Amino acid sequence: MIELNRLTKRFGPVTAVDDLSVTVGPGRVTGFLGPNGAGKTTTMRIILGLDAPTSGTALVGGRRYQQIIRPLRQVGSLLDATAVHGGRTAYDHLLSVALSNGIRRSRVRQVLELTGLDSVAGKRVRGYSLGMKQRLGMAAALLGDPPVLMFDEPVNGLDPDGVRWIRQLLRQLAADGHTVLVSSHLMSEMALTADHLIVIGRGRLLADTPADSLTRSSARADVLVRSPRARELAALLTARGAAVTVEDDGGLAVTGLDAPAIADLAAEHGVAVHELMPRQPSLEQAYLDLTATSTDYRAATPAGKPEAGR
Amino acid sequence: MTTAAIRADAQTVPSLAARALDLLAFEWTKLRSVRSNYVTLLIAAVATIGSTVVIAHGLASAPALPPGGPITALTASFLGYAEYAVLPVSVLAVLQFTSEYTTGLIRTTFAAAPRRWAVLTGKAAVSAAAALIFGEVLAFACFFLTQAILSGQHRGVSLTRPGVPGAVLAAGFVLCACTLTALGLGAIIRHTAGAIAATIAATYLVAALCLALPSPWKDDIGRFTMPFAASEVVALHPQAGLLSPAASMLVLIAWPAAALLAAGLVITRRDA
Repeated sequence: MIELNRLTKRFGPVTAVDDLSVTVGPGRVTGFLGPNGAGKTTTMRIILGLDAPTSGTALVGGRRYQQIIRPLRQVGSLLDATAVHGGRTAYDHLLSVALSNGIRRSRVRQVLELTGLDSVAGKRVRGYSLGMKQRLGMAAALLGDPPVLMFDEPVNGLDPDGVRWIRQLLRQLAADGHTVLVSSHLMSEMALTADHLIVIGRGRLLADTPADSLTRSSARADVLVRSPRARELAALLTARGAAVTVEDDGGLAVTGLDAPAIADLAAEHGVAVHELMPRQPSLEQAYLDLTATSTDYRAATPAGKPEAGR
Repeated sequence: MTTAAIRADAQTVPSLAARALDLLAFEWTKLRSVRSNYVTLLIAAVATIGSTVVIAHGLASAPALPPGGPITALTASFLGYAEYAVLPVSVLAVLQFTSEYTTGLIRTTFAAAPRRWAVLTGKAAVSAAAALIFGEVLAFACFFLTQAILSGQHRGVSLTRPGVPGAVLAAGFVLCACTLTALGLGAIIRHTAGAIAATIAATYLVAALCLALPSPWKDDIGRFTMPFAASEVVALHPQAGLLSPAASMLVLIAWPAAALLAAGLVITRRDA
């Protein structure tokens, strides 16, 4: 379990993380989403004790990271797969990390097998592809079999096989009861793996919600109606309080009334309906709406001044 | 090991000694697993031995050394060592931190060991031990080679002469002092080139500047620099105007101590 309480981090005039309070629970994959520069990596670095917060706290299992004895047995993380010394072999890299937390040598072989690196473990990391380095980073994160795992953009630079492997691994870890926090700037990726979403923009919390309810709560949910007497039906719907937009192909996008109500209304007035389809926006669209709003709002604010009405 | 076994393992709180050993194993594994470290040490050893032999032959064929001067049969043993051992080993020491900062590995290190004073101590202990062993082996090798060459002219000194073993041991320690100074500067500066420049400044250039000063400032200030102090701890008869060998040893301890203290204060306060 990861708990952030009013976490704030400023770099000079820039507020990277702004009063962020969320809890990341076990047994599910939590997607940590936001555009580039939203503060995801900074948040993860604070959780790991690498950066000191300006104010607020970040706790893992109820403790600050620095207070955890042998922390790799509690928290496994992969922030930057390229952050390895090229002159060392994968085995030696993992061995050094294992020894630092009193993890047995036999575990190094296990994680090498788990990540499919056992055949290249004796090669120096300098010659590794980005995908192999991602696997190495995963192996290091899994060394202490920690209950909490944190990955920053783990699928970046991976080929489709690698992406599928990471997805399966994340799902498996969550199914085994781990707390899994995965950051991404790609909603499409998270749509496939995350059970729960935390969305931030410019360091602020925008949404903390189950993945499926993000789409339901979106303002974009509507009903598509097609009718040979579209204009007449549009007038009827508007009179009943619905908002109607005529789409390019002549279809009506209706909000404010659900599909059964629209069908009843049409039947009442003898208007034929050829198509009636409730539409959920894609998770991607919901995410774009969410972050666009935040960005627009921010862009209108004079730089450096506190925002009114917040 | 099964997952359950790891978990059970994690329940017991390890002793402070066990955690200290963890960190030493961590740093030692990192140090020994980079091949270029061995290459650098090998080159340093070959260059040091080579230059020592050349210098000894030069002395052996020259007229008698001026009595009371800074160069004696004993100190001549370490002329090559002072350059060709100290410089490459200092660079290696700088890299202990800067290579981690430039690759980003430092974040893995601090995530594995969030107590940064402990990381600094572990790194310093491992590097100091390696430098001390390497330095002592080289210092004794340089001493015996030089004396073997000089003894042809019956001008060598024997290890059995009072004060000589201490001087040779002290020469080995000089490498350790330079290593720790360089390690600290590497942690503070983070960038390899800058840290190497700072290390050369601290271990050589400050003393070189002092040599350019008029007397008595040259010695009054210079005696607090590492090269002046090093020349005193390897000499049997202290030079007039410089510090005693014991006080010079304190100078050789103060420089790395200051560098490491500053490094600790900086890395514990700075975001990684």
